[in-house]
Amino acid sequence: MTTAVQVTGLTRQYVMGGEPLEVLRGVDLSIAYGEIVCVMGPSGSGKSTLLNIVGGLDRPTSGSVVVAGSDLARMDDEQLAVYRRRQVGFVFQSFNLIGTMTARRNVELPLLFSGEPEDQRTARAAAALQAVGLGHRLDHKPTELSGGEQQRVAIARASVNEPAIMLADEPTGNLDTHTGQEILSLITSMNAEGRTFLITTHDRAVAKAVAHRIVTIVDGAIARIEQGGTL
Amino acid sequence: MRFRDLAFLVVSNLRRMKLRLALTSLGVVIGTSAIVLMVSLGIGLQANLTTSLGDLGAATHITVMPGGMETGMPDEGQLTDAALERFETIEHVEAVMPMTYVMSAQGARYKRYESYMNIMGVPMDAFEAFGYELESGRLPRTDSEVLLGAAVPTSFAAGDSATQAGPSGRLKLDLLGKRLDLTLMMWPSEEEMQKDPMAQGTERKQRLTVVGILAPTDMQTDQTAYVTLDAAHAMNGATRRTTAYENVVVKADSTRNVTAIEDEISGQGFFTFSSQSMLKELNTVFLIIQGVLGALGAIAMLVAALGIANTMTMSIYERTREIGIMKAVGASNRQIKRVFLGEAAIIGVLGGIGGLTFSWAGAALANLFVQSLIASQAGSSGGVMPETSAFFQIPVWLALFAIVFASGIGLLAGVLPAVRAANLDPLTALRHE
Ligand SMILES: Nc1ncnc2c1ncn2[C@@H]1O[C@H](COP(=O)(O)OP(=O)(O)O)[C@@H](O)[C@H]1O
Ligand SMILES: [Mg+2]
Repeated sequence: MTTAVQVTGLTRQYVMGGEPLEVLRGVDLSIAYGEIVCVMGPSGSGKSTLLNIVGGLDRPTSGSVVVAGSDLARMDDEQLAVYRRRQVGFVFQSFNLIGTMTARRNVELPLLFSGEPEDQRTARAAAALQAVGLGHRLDHKPTELSGGEQQRVAIARASVNEPAIMLADEPTGNLDTHTGQEILSLITSMNAEGRTFLITTHDRAVAKAVAHRIVTIVDGAIARIEQGGTL
Repeated sequence: MRFRDLAFLVVSNLRRMKLRLALTSLGVVIGTSAIVLMVSLGIGLQANLTTSLGDLGAATHITVMPGGMETGMPDEGQLTDAALERFETIEHVEAVMPMTYVMSAQGARYKRYESYMNIMGVPMDAFEAFGYELESGRLPRTDSEVLLGAAVPTSFAAGDSATQAGPSGRLKLDLLGKRLDLTLMMWPSEEEMQKDPMAQGTERKQRLTVVGILAPTDMQTDQTAYVTLDAAHAMNGATRRTTAYENVVVKADSTRNVTAIEDEISGQGFFTFSSQSMLKELNTVFLIIQGVLGALGAIAMLVAALGIANTMTMSIYERTREIGIMKAVGASNRQIKRVFLGEAAIIGVLGGIGGLTFSWAGAALANLFVQSLIASQAGSSGGVMPETSAFFQIPVWLALFAIVFASGIGLLAGVLPAVRAANLDPLTALRHE
């Protein structure tokens, strides 16, 4: 199977003060293994909502989302948690590391919840940090790391469980241009080793730098799909 | 998620809030101490009182005394032979034994040793039916024979020191088959007093042969010497058997029937008491005391539980974003719930351990204080120090219960906050701050 993510007829409606708000209106999108897909669009167009639904943090109002062969719509909360634990890696704009834990403990977290034995867990976390160039910062807390380093730890955490899809929501949004570039090249090199990415950004330059395909969303619907600069 | 990892996570979370942890546990410490000390006081009091109740007589015995009430019964509350026969016909009565105190007894002498003891006249056949066991010898058959309670042979002291010597300084005499000389004081009768108001009592000697010694019991029996009824009457100066007894003991076939028999006899116009009815009354009192104390402890514990719930709610609010992160990386609702339940339970356990330590120290101190108080009172009144066991007793089951209870309170207090944490929407939680 070569399709990592298959989104069909996806809608998402929020009800705000009795008024229904159509955030996604029938999105169809498929992502192949080994692909980097960027979702572009203005603020409020529904990029994050799409990403969160694919990541099992939010639920569709209608339509189907199939990731690595399983249909998210049929999962209960418990199954969605297991899905996030096994198949998804999240990278956020604001890093979202736990401040009281060292880099290694943060990266171990997904493995902790899946019940991985401690020795394997620490080894895999160390390897993941090594892969993002932080092998020498294992026992540093987030406050002792720069923004770029924190985002690397977040990427290590997102990849440590070997997920089917890595989801990055504006991963360079909190970083200066140079550090952002470094993160993007890290993503590119991880992709070269087989990782699949779905990335949101409002910045065309970011999309151009990494994407195989660029999907532009306007008002909750796909306006255009184009081949990215790297293809 | 492995239990070890859960425990590690819980402990490291708690280490981040040491001060808050200490303050919250303190509530549990107070609640646990209150409950443990209260229960332990209840246990201690009951143990002490039940121990001293043992002196009142065997569990199946009912002591009956003349009632002196207008009852319409033929004997008007007098313990006559007819009344005794009626007692014997009451259901579940196994034996009835009248007793006559030898009021004239002044003391007993063997060689150069002297002792003071109660002397009592009993019908020897009934005595056997009451289940008293002989340590050695046999029951008296004639009016010049005597049976000694187990403690009597150790109650003798040489010469004048008899009144001063403490119980420990006494010796144990081998009295079986030996002769005791009793001193009896015969007080003038009423007729003699009318003739001569200045009439003095006259001392009389009576020699008795020890034919048996009773096996030890935990009752007054041990300090008593028994003679036949006729001998007792004779020693009291009565020419013939009086028409009524002063004291009758009724034996029930089982402790369960004691109350019913007692009710029946007191219904016939007699005073009765038994260790059973005493215990029942005391138990009611203890139940009330323990209930009041327990309620106080429960209130303390309730406040402690509210404290835990409050602390957990606050710390969960502060860690909302962290909960969102944990959910995003795959923590299930159940795992989140366990983390916070674990934290609440640990607060409870720590409080329980603290409370137990505090109660142990408190109980030891209180026991020391009570015992020194009793000792000083006994000392100033010239009496012997009574044997008291601890008034606060913390048996192992109570200690275990305290810990389990405290952790249970912690868990219970943590349920609501933990469930709320578990059910947080991950996206909302991630947006927090
Ligand atoms: N939980 C929510 N409740 C109500 N409206 C929401 C919620 N989440 C997002 N929205 C709305 O949905 C729209 C799309 O949001 P989002 O997906 O975050 O956009 P983007 O990431 O493209 O900026 C916005 O108008 C936002 O206000
Ligand atoms: Mg967004």
